[in-house]
Amino acid sequence: MSVLGKVVRSGVGRRRVQSLVLALTTFAAVTSSVLSLGLLAVVQAPFDHAFSARNGAHLAVQFDRSKVTAAQATATAHAAGVTEAAGPYPIAAALDTTVGTDCPKRDFAGHDNHPITVTTRPDLGSTSGMDQLVLTQGRWPTSPGEIALPWQHYATACFGSSVVFSALPGKPSFKVVGFGGSVTSSATAFATADGFARLTAAGAKSDEQMLYRFAKAGTDADIATDKQAVAAVAPAGAVESGQSYLTAKQQAGGNARAYVPFLIGFGILGLFMSVLIISIVVSGAVASGIRRIGILKSLGFTPSQVARAYTAQAMIPATLGLVLGTVFGNLLAVPILDGATKQLGAADATIPLWVSAVVPLSTLLIVSTTALIPALRAGRMPTVQALVVGRAPKAGGGRTAQRLASRLPLPRAMSLGLAQPFARPARAVLVGAAVLFGVVSVTFAVGLGTAFNKYLDTSTAGFNVASEFVIPTADVGVPWGRYGPNDPRRPHLDAAKVAASLAETPGTKAAFGWGESGATIVGAPPGGEPPKVFTITGDFSWSNMELLSGRWFSAPGEAVVGDKLATTVGIHVGDNVTVVQQNKQLPLKVVGINFDTNVGDYTVMTDATTFTAAGLAPHIEQFNVELADNVSGSDWSTSAAAALTPLNASVHPHSDGGKNIVVIIMGTLVATLTLMMTAVAALGVLSMVVQDTRERVHDLGIFKALGMTPKQTIAMVLTSVSLTGLIAGLIGVPLGVSVEKATLTPMGNAIGRHLPPSVSHVYTAGLLIPLLAGGIVIALLGALLPAGWAARTRTATALRTE
Amino acid sequence: MTNPPMIALQDAMKKYDDGPPALAGVTLSVASGECVAILGHSGSGKSTLLNLIAGLDKPSSGTVTVDGTRVDQLGEAGSAKYRRASIGMIFQYFNLLDDLTVLDNVMVPAQLAGMGKGEAKRRAIALLGSLGIDRHAKAYPQRLSGGQRQRVAVARALMNKPALLLADEPTGALDSSSAEDVRRLLLDLNSEGQTILLVTHDVQLAASTARRTIELVDGAVKRDVVNDGSSAGLAARTPLTRPAGAVG
Repeated sequence: MSVLGKVVRSGVGRRRVQSLVLALTTFAAVTSSVLSLGLLAVVQAPFDHAFSARNGAHLAVQFDRSKVTAAQATATAHAAGVTEAAGPYPIAAALDTTVGTDCPKRDFAGHDNHPITVTTRPDLGSTSGMDQLVLTQGRWPTSPGEIALPWQHYATACFGSSVVFSALPGKPSFKVVGFGGSVTSSATAFATADGFARLTAAGAKSDEQMLYRFAKAGTDADIATDKQAVAAVAPAGAVESGQSYLTAKQQAGGNARAYVPFLIGFGILGLFMSVLIISIVVSGAVASGIRRIGILKSLGFTPSQVARAYTAQAMIPATLGLVLGTVFGNLLAVPILDGATKQLGAADATIPLWVSAVVPLSTLLIVSTTALIPALRAGRMPTVQALVVGRAPKAGGGRTAQRLASRLPLPRAMSLGLAQPFARPARAVLVGAAVLFGVVSVTFAVGLGTAFNKYLDTSTAGFNVASEFVIPTADVGVPWGRYGPNDPRRPHLDAAKVAASLAETPGTKAAFGWGESGATIVGAPPGGEPPKVFTITGDFSWSNMELLSGRWFSAPGEAVVGDKLATTVGIHVGDNVTVVQQNKQLPLKVVGINFDTNVGDYTVMTDATTFTAAGLAPHIEQFNVELADNVSGSDWSTSAAAALTPLNASVHPHSDGGKNIVVIIMGTLVATLTLMMTAVAALGVLSMVVQDTRERVHDLGIFKALGMTPKQTIAMVLTSVSLTGLIAGLIGVPLGVSVEKATLTPMGNAIGRHLPPSVSHVYTAGLLIPLLAGGIVIALLGALLPAGWAARTRTATALRTE
Repeated sequence: MTNPPMIALQDAMKKYDDGPPALAGVTLSVASGECVAILGHSGSGKSTLLNLIAGLDKPSSGTVTVDGTRVDQLGEAGSAKYRRASIGMIFQYFNLLDDLTVLDNVMVPAQLAGMGKGEAKRRAIALLGSLGIDRHAKAYPQRLSGGQRQRVAVARALMNKPALLLADEPTGALDSSSAEDVRRLLLDLNSEGQTILLVTHDVQLAASTARRTIELVDGAVKRDVVNDGSSAGLAARTPLTRPAGAVG
């Protein structure tokens, strides 16, 4: 080994704690950065690539055929901003379907299938023009009895069997000959022109669809403007719906997109922390090794060799952290990306190689530059000065602080510690900065974690709130949603009789019934989760369902729309939304927008009387019952059962709905990253206090010779960081709150949600006060070990140390 | 009935690692009110002896009793409390805390022992006054001369009224005038009944300050003599050149 190598190795060996801190910091920074950049690349790139390659449509507009002619629809291609257009294509939206009974898999045969939006185009397999469709299995339909649709919209095990349009008279059936679709889900089933004609002949409402590309279509606002431009050149009221490619892009990324903002936050914090810790460690190594530097130079080391030696001492542990962070980041990405890639149909659930190269290399550059600055200072230090400075006793700093501290009514050991940071203000600032980053991370993470829990808390609001549930007896012990909402085998309750029975049962305080009507929503995004229309009967005000704007429905024909549907489609209070059940269209007046994360992405809620008044079935599947105070659940169940059994209804005890896997993964990620950042912050403090203890070992010897006990020594060292910790906490908490605020809104937006105050306002006094103390806790945690070492330092040895 | 000795070492041995013992089974006793000089070359074991008596180190075997306390049996906290209560130490390089004023330096041992600030301040000022350096109370040690600093160190050592004053080469870093000043101070203190253990390699200082001199060679007591007041006589008996084979 070369002399330089030996110097480096001994330097790393002598500073094991600092080396560990360095490795951990870079590990945390690289893990977060690899994950965030990797997720960004994975969730965006495949869609962007496919959208570009297949010349996807920025906007797909559905025109009401009764209000527009094909020529008028074609003329919208000349609307302001349109650069390319295709269509009109006939389209029949949101048709209820079931899997044909010819499916060899009995579990699927005859089951409810997603509502699908069928279209026909002259050349389904065209590789030119706009919105080129791609086949992933089978072939495109060539005869009137055939159809192709995306695999997500049919039971894959039944490929080759039929799909039945169950709500249309005569229930026309088509053989599924291909899996394939549009990158933007402009339609979710493709038939030949003759095949499409079979649907319209059976009663399906046919509209016209136009596809557009625009000069400016980067944001939701751009698309809204573009849609207005199209509507302006079409006959009034002709535009039924318009689907933006941004919705499809969001659906393609799935929940993985929600991870990106907070991972970016952690990545940036981690990077800052790395730079800080590297500055601390390398500057500390130079400061405490000045005499060593002098000796090395007197032995013939060149300035360049000294600089390289000190840079390398930082780079060895940092490189270890980089490598481990890259590997860990890739491993962590697997469960997160799994969902996203499945949704996108992409093969890989791995982070692109370039991310695994760019992140560590960039971090390496930052780390080496940070280390090089103090290392160059060491290299340039004149030899004689290094030898003299290294041996000279330190000038006493912070005298004013010591004088003031001695006047405080504190035990002397504590007042001595309290003034210590002022003796080395630069070091105190570095300790404070390490604690500050730790506090920011903890505040940020605690806020996010609390918001996550509130976001999916199923116990305090919505359809899960109840003392007891009443469900169809046939559903007892059967997994929820085994049969689709339109499946004839799906049992329903006789709402009126069950409600009357519950009202008569002693101990019932309130009850409401609800169910998934099986209706679909005109204009709902065809991709992603299928839309759901819920019907409710009775007073549900006690279920705490959250309204973001407007009011709850109070008359037939009124509806409340879920925030995600409202945001995606652009529905506002006062607008109309049309729902379709059994091919019957029912226009509803939107009177409110609600927030509920447990019932699905695209939802409409209305009173059951809306459906009954229109001659449709509301499908009430469950009653939520609130019991009066002091009523025993089991006693109530026994007495209710007598009346409910003849109605084929049973009492079902309340149970926790369980946690969403996304929230569990996010919570684990947040906890892991927070733990890492806190550990790094505490280790940063530890590193500084170790250095300080080393430099003050002679003073410690004096104190101990004068009778300072180990407890007093520990108290002195701990007090020396507590003021810094307190100040860092006071600054760090508001910063952490700001970071959380800046992150949470984009996270909500990434999954198409506007988070209400009940989710976003997480920082209560009960949360903030412990967080404010977090700075002191981190500082004390970091100082605890060196305080113990200081207490154990042998006085005789310490006194000999100069 | 005779008074128990202030310091009693019984077969005190200290060994570091695999080398020869730094202190090889020393047995000695020092009576209360005595001023004893421990004389020896560098590496003779005198600092080790001082550390054992001060409770800064523990013997590998044997016992160390000071003022009735078995120092070798004390834990870390017990040693600290023992030093606080029974020991005052002055060092060659003063070991004052540079960022504290002279007054604060002197007050520290009393404050660590839990004495109230007002009382500690009164006593410190009185001590500084008796040592003639009260006008420097608000100064920082670095602004004082070597002799003045050592007086501050003496004041600090006496702050808790220790039973035993340990002086480790107290004049080693001083010019001759300051050294004489400190020597007289030690003599005055001893004349007032303060037990002093003076560790030095300065034969003249030992002879002129202590009434008894214990010479250590290779960790063992070579001589234990009562001074006749003539340094020349002691010097003649004690050649302070390193004997061949001495442990360094």
